[in-house]
Amino acid sequence: MPWFLHLALRQLFPPGRRFPAFATVSILGVALGVASLLVVQTVMNGFGEEHRLRIRESFGDCVVTAAAPVERPAELARALRADPAVRSAAPYAEGPALLRNGDFSAVGGVRGVDPLDPDQPARRYVAFGSFDDLDDGRVVLGAGLARALRVRIGDRVELWSPAMAERAEKGRAPLPVQLEVCAVILTGFTEVDDRAALIPLRRFNDLWALGGRAHGLTLRLKDPADAEAVAARLSAGRPGLSFIPWQHVKRNFLEAIRFEKTMLFFLMFIITLVASFSIGSTLFSAVIRRTREVGVLAALGAGRAELVLLFGLQGLVIGLIGTLAGFGLTWTILTFRDGILGEVNRLFGDGDMMAKVYQFSRVPLHYDASDFVVAAFFTLLTTAAAGLVPALWAAGRKPSEAMRDA
Amino acid sequence: MPEPVLSARGLTKAFASPAGPLAVLQGVSLAVLPGESVSIRGSSGSGKTTLLQILGGLDLPDSGEVTVLAPGLGAVRPRAALGRGVGFVFQNYQLMPELTALENVALAARIAGVSVAEAQARAHELLGQVGLAARTDHLPAKLSGGECQRVALARALVNRPPVLLADEPTGNLDERTAEEVMALMLGVVGSLGTALVLVTHSREFAERASRRFVLSGGVLSPA
Repeated sequence: MPWFLHLALRQLFPPGRRFPAFATVSILGVALGVASLLVVQTVMNGFGEEHRLRIRESFGDCVVTAAAPVERPAELARALRADPAVRSAAPYAEGPALLRNGDFSAVGGVRGVDPLDPDQPARRYVAFGSFDDLDDGRVVLGAGLARALRVRIGDRVELWSPAMAERAEKGRAPLPVQLEVCAVILTGFTEVDDRAALIPLRRFNDLWALGGRAHGLTLRLKDPADAEAVAARLSAGRPGLSFIPWQHVKRNFLEAIRFEKTMLFFLMFIITLVASFSIGSTLFSAVIRRTREVGVLAALGAGRAELVLLFGLQGLVIGLIGTLAGFGLTWTILTFRDGILGEVNRLFGDGDMMAKVYQFSRVPLHYDASDFVVAAFFTLLTTAAAGLVPALWAAGRKPSEAMRDA
Repeated sequence: MPEPVLSARGLTKAFASPAGPLAVLQGVSLAVLPGESVSIRGSSGSGKTTLLQILGGLDLPDSGEVTVLAPGLGAVRPRAALGRGVGFVFQNYQLMPELTALENVALAARIAGVSVAEAQARAHELLGQVGLAARTDHLPAKLSGGECQRVALARALVNRPPVLLADEPTGNLDERTAEEVMALMLGVVGSLGTALVLVTHSREFAERASRRFVLSGGVLSPA
C-alpha cells in the first residue's frame, strides 16, 4: 500500500477510535444522499415497470384496431399468428355496462375475451374462483367491482348493455341478463380491479349486437421490447388497420414517468452535493489543522502529487464507503418500504395513497444496475472533488510557510 | 580534505515588514564536512530557523546557493534531496499522531521509496539504537516528550542522510531529558558518521559541537 494511502486511512480512522467524528458524519452524509437518490430512482423504475406491465397486460403487446369493428376477426387472428414474432392473437370487444346485485349497482367496463386463450393475463390475477369456469352464463369480476356489488363466487349479477336498451320495445325497460360470478381477479391496479368484468367474446357480441365482429385484436409477442418494429412490419400491406405497439398506447404517460425520474435524479443529487460540500469544508478544516504536518511531510521528501493524493484520497475513501453504505441503506429501506410507508400513512393520516392515487396495492420497485453505477460515479466524482480542493491547497503551501503558519 | 556534505555560499534572506524589508541573513556561508558537528546559536528572531530551513531546502534564499552531497544523487540543491540528503529534527517533534513510533520512523523511508519490509527493518533498528525497542507500537500520545524526540531522531536518520539538521531539539524538554536526548543524538550521529547542524539557545549544548557559530544581525560568525 502506498504510504499516502496508509496515512490517509489512518487519518480518517485513527487507531483506538471506533467512530471518528469526521469520517462517521461524512460517510453518513454521503450514504443518506446515495440512499435518497437510489430509493427514489428504484421506486420510480418500479412505477414505470408496473405501468408498462399493466399497459401490456391490459392492451396486449400490440393492439390492432380499425375505424369500424373488425370483420372476420378469427381469420385476421390466424393470419397474424403466422408471423414468427407473434406468440398469440386474440380478438376482443369492450364497452360499458350497468351491473346490479339487488340494491347495489355499478358501472363496469365489460370486455369480451377468449375464455380458452392460455395467454389471457387475467388468469394470473385470479384471487377467488376459477377463470376456466368462464362461459356464456358466467362473468369474471375485478375485486373492487365485486366488493361494490357485494357479490362472491356463485352469486349472480344483472347486466344491461347499451345495445339491450336500443333493442327494448319502446316504452319498456330492457330486461337484464343474469350472470354467475365464477372468478374474482385482483391485479393491484385499481383502475382494473374497480371496473373489470370479463365475459366470453361470443356472449359480448350477443349482448352488444356486434354479430361476428370484434373491436380489435390483442397481440402478444415473443419479445415485447420489439413491439414498435413488429407493429410497423405487420401494418405494411394491411390498410385500414392500425397496429399500435404498447409503447405508444400511453406514450405521454410513459414519457412523463421517464422525465419525472430524470428530474428526481437531479433533485436528489443535490443531497449528495450538499454532503460533498460538507466533506470539502470539514476536510479543509482538517487540512488547516494539519498544516504543520504538511510541512513535515514535505521535509521528509513527500512530493506535491503525493500530498494531493494524501488528502484527495480521504474524500474518495469517504465517497467509496459512503456509496457502499448508501447501497446497503437503499436495500434496507426498499425491503421494508411497505412497513415504512404504512407508518408514514398512519402518522400523517393519508390513508392508502398507493391505491387511491397511484393505483398500486404496494410500493412498486425495480432495481436497475445502471442507476447504481451512475449514482456511484457521480458521488465518487463529487466527493473526490471535495477532497481535491483542500488537497491542492495543502500541496501548494511552501514547507517553511506551512511549518511557520501552523 | 574531504568534500563538504553541505555547502552554503552567500545566502541572503529578507522578510517584508511594515517598516520595510527585514534582512535576516546577509551573506551567510557555511561548509559542513562529513561526520562533523556544527552548532549555531543566536537570540530569538535572529534567523536561525530560517537558515536551517534554507540549508535543508524547506525555503529558498533570496540569493546565494546551497548544495548537499546526497547519496546516489551527488551535489544537488537540498530541495531535490529532501528526506535523503538531509534529515530534520524539530523542536516540537512533529510526529504523525495517528501513526505508531515504528510507523512514524518507517514513513520517512517509505516516502523515500524504500519497500515496506526494508523500511520497517530500518525503523526497528534505529528505534533500538535510540532505546525505544519496547515502545515501537505506541502512538505519540502515549510517549513522553523525550521519547517522542527520540522517535523523531530515528525518523530523521532512517534514510541515512549525510547531514542532520536539528532545530532546537531540546527546546521542549526538561533539563534532564534534554541532556539525555542531546547525548543520544551526538552518540548516534557519531556512530553513523552523520554530520550535524544544531541550532540551539543552549550555550552548554552548543559547546559540544566540533565547530560553533553565532548568528547575529544576519551574519554568521565563529563563536
